[in-house]
Amino acid sequence: MKTSLPPLAPGQALPECRITITQALIDHYAEVSGDFNPIHVDPDAGRDSDFGGTIAHGCIPLEPVFQCLLRWSGADRLPAQTRLRFRYRSPSRPGDTIRAEMRLIAEPQQKLDGLMRFSFACLRQDDQVVIDGECDFPV
Amino acid sequence: MNPDFCYETARLGDVLCTGIVDVSEADIARFRSLMGYGDSTSEEVAPPSMGLTYGLKLGWEHAIFPPGVVRMGDDDEFGKPARAGDQLTTSFRIIEKFERKERRFLRYEMRTVNQKNEMVCAIVFVGLMPSNTKAQIS
Repeated sequence: MKTSLPPLAPGQALPECRITITQALIDHYAEVSGDFNPIHVDPDAGRDSDFGGTIAHGCIPLEPVFQCLLRWSGADRLPAQTRLRFRYRSPSRPGDTIRAEMRLIAEPQQKLDGLMRFSFACLRQDDQVVIDGECDFPV
Repeated sequence: MNPDFCYETARLGDVLCTGIVDVSEADIARFRSLMGYGDSTSEEVAPPSMGLTYGLKLGWEHAIFPPGVVRMGDDDEFGKPARAGDQLTTSFRIIEKFERKERRFLRYEMRTVNQKNEMVCAIVFVGLMPSNTKAQIS
């Protein structure tokens, strides 16, 4: 793992990462996760639900957050004790492209002992927030 | 299996289920490909979300997520990354039951460790329980 991180000023954003959601991706994720809930994998059940169609498992639109951090840090893993706190705000569906926007809100020397704190949001192509939260990234 | 698991039967602190999964290089490659990882990361080290996904799988297999439960949000901590060849042990507990505005919530704790008992990920998430519904929403 790299020992030095690219410089980042408070308010500065990490390089953006995206994931495009397809029904095939959802179906394959169901196999990996064991979550075959019909709202994810059955288009008929999705049509009959309040969502009007299938929706992605929550971990799928979250994925760009991990990829943002890994891409920025140049590492293949998160440092130990990395924490994410987040809320699901709205569903994502096949055809959506979800992008993660992450922004440094505090450098370690400012407020936090050995942590960089990021705010993040996962947004659909229409800028609707799907997930938002914070990440503490040890340095 | 927990076929009768629901808000009423959930008991604080009890281990709901424990399971073991082996991680292979093929598993990691498959997951990386599925989630769109590029070539910049190792195929021996699992992406952080893979440990999370494998842990949740155990919960589905043991029916501890009642049909209709809605996951509201998480507090996730990541530790030692899972690697090819690791054997991961995951366990689930309920750490809080609460009601707000006539809605019922369970706070789950999922903890995954490797064969050296090093923490891979520790996830706390809140599930909004279905009222009397057989809806199939997660």
